[in-house]
Amino acid sequence: MKKSNINGSQTATGVLLASLVLPGLAALAAITPLGAAAENAPEKTTIAIKYGHYNDSQPGWDRIKVDAAQVYVQAPIAGDWSIEASGVSDNVSGASPRWHTQNTALSGASHMSDERKAGDVKVTRYLARAAVSASVAISKEHDYTSNALGLDARWSTDDNNRTWTVGFGSASDTIDNTYSGGSTAINRHKSTNEFMGGVTQVLTPTDIVQFNLTRSLGSGYFNDPYKSYDQRPNQRDIWIALARWNHYLEKFDASLHSSYRNYSDTFGVQSHTLGLDWVQPAGRWTFTPGARYYSQSAANFYLDPILDAQGQYDQQAVVARANKLYGSNQSTDQRLAAFGAITLSMKVSYAFTPNTLADVKYESYRQTAALHLGGSGSPGLDPFNANFIQVGLTHRF
Amino acid sequence: MSRWRTLRFDFSAMASPCSLQMDGRDEHVMRRAANEAMAEVQRIEKKFSRYTEGSVISRINQSAGLAAIETDTETSGLLDFAHSLWTQSDGLFDITSGVLRHAWDFKNARLPEPATLQGLLPRVDWQQVERHGNQVRLKQPGMELDFGGFGKEYAADRAAAVLQSHDIHHALVNLGGDLHALGERGLPELQGTPWQIEIQHPRQDTRQTDTPLALLTLARGGLATSGDYERFFIHEGQRYCHVLNPRTGWPVTHWQSVSVLAANTTTAGALSTIAMLKGPDAPAWLEAQGMRYLAVQHDGQVLRSNAATD
Repeated sequence: MKKSNINGSQTATGVLLASLVLPGLAALAAITPLGAAAENAPEKTTIAIKYGHYNDSQPGWDRIKVDAAQVYVQAPIAGDWSIEASGVSDNVSGASPRWHTQNTALSGASHMSDERKAGDVKVTRYLARAAVSASVAISKEHDYTSNALGLDARWSTDDNNRTWTVGFGSASDTIDNTYSGGSTAINRHKSTNEFMGGVTQVLTPTDIVQFNLTRSLGSGYFNDPYKSYDQRPNQRDIWIALARWNHYLEKFDASLHSSYRNYSDTFGVQSHTLGLDWVQPAGRWTFTPGARYYSQSAANFYLDPILDAQGQYDQQAVVARANKLYGSNQSTDQRLAAFGAITLSMKVSYAFTPNTLADVKYESYRQTAALHLGGSGSPGLDPFNANFIQVGLTHRF
Repeated sequence: MSRWRTLRFDFSAMASPCSLQMDGRDEHVMRRAANEAMAEVQRIEKKFSRYTEGSVISRINQSAGLAAIETDTETSGLLDFAHSLWTQSDGLFDITSGVLRHAWDFKNARLPEPATLQGLLPRVDWQQVERHGNQVRLKQPGMELDFGGFGKEYAADRAAAVLQSHDIHHALVNLGGDLHALGERGLPELQGTPWQIEIQHPRQDTRQTDTPLALLTLARGGLATSGDYERFFIHEGQRYCHVLNPRTGWPVTHWQSVSVLAANTTTAGALSTIAMLKGPDAPAWLEAQGMRYLAVQHDGQVLRSNAATD
């Protein structure tokens, strides 16, 4: 099957022409990249992918399949669920080191450096109704060594109404910064075991639910050795529960997508994320207003900044306090503070044909300490606002 | 031929997490192709790394101010490419600018001494690279070449070419966020659908959510992202990132990140870096190159190409 949505006519200029002279690159030559027309906020895509997946296997199931799901399933990727990428995308493009530290669930490496030596191999095997992955990873830096292994599997029932997912990961890290001139972490260890289980279930022709539970048990050295006075407990156990429910309302010919995520750890950080989207088709149009609320509490040992009489950051007082508390747990890492955030979004899409869609999405994100659930949050945090607008065109074939 | 399956190989190269994904029916061929592609990536890393003792780049750099070094066609081709980038970016993309790194201490978040920076700037000058045939000589002592600006992207293209030579037609190569898609998905239930790519949000830490900036579908071609979050430090509220302007020696500030789509990853990577360097002029320049991009400005505003919505 060949793609048919080559977009526009573009001329290859300058840099591209120069690159085609490089050995082997002309053989790859497509003058323009294909299939790069659409964007979507993938948070909703995870369950939407299930829509597409189940739809395919249940031909008798109408309405949602035709209307709502179409909007979301820009490119069904059923059969390509992987834990590291949260199951949303095939891959991530970004500046590399942080991608690694943020998205590799099993790796504890947080100081990517030029001298890093690592080897890790993961192989995923996709079967008719199941996929199994196994991985091992070894990573060595001058101040950080990490060994990890992981196993995960998912499988579907014969009618494809239910999909189970289980995963296990274990990592053992050693932190030692004596070679880089530090003396704050000498031969310290950390080990983490993570267990994850989940199920996605088609309940009725109008309801799909998904539930995931993750338990992570970590013990050892959690400090940031490059932050002065950063001292954290030597145990961090985490529970994460995620629930999603997509419900189709026949009366309105609309779908309500809701999700709730609960996070809590033994540092004292607790967070709640609540998301709601209303998907309303109206002829060729689909309107999707959405709202998301996030709130997290501060870690037990998080310390607020100290302000002087003028309201300015008082570094001397902060250092004095840190010295006084020396030996007990303390951190001034903002990510351990208390705050809340609200995202409001509106998406409008228009279907030229059942297979060609255009959409516009606007998203407004507000993060402040004041939005913290049931209280004012941590003082001295800068608010953060962001607005996003996305437009896209989807063509399916 | 047996049933369709997907294999994914994760590995590390060039200080980055990498992966090869492919759909196919002959597992032996897929594994052999993957091994060769990974070997190709390692070959390029070894050959062009400035850290590898005895690499072409190390030898050229060690002979700076002294003798010319005999190289091969591949190196020469990459130097031609570097020259063309230098010309087309009005001198902003300069593979001799890596030497500025000596002034910037990202690990300890220290601003450089003005004198140190001033001392290094004269060593940044592509025009001081002398070439005759495959011979290369850096005219001044202390000068350095650095293929970091396109080495990883070139490796992604070469890995894709290796897969293609094994008749793999449904694959995605990812070298630390630089991607090459070699044809759409192949599994019967997905046949013809493109790969889904997340574009990482440049301020993920602040947002405290896992929401990516965008999701892109890509069936064929290259995608690369440059960002100010790859390596940086914050000093007195100001962010200093690793993308340095070769004329001033100081980090760029206009863009948080720029993602570019092009026919190959090498082009996408070079264009995204040049866009970071060009600052406010980048959108017009990328449009003129006929490229699709998605850029996040310093204030969080998201800009994208007109072409991307057609």
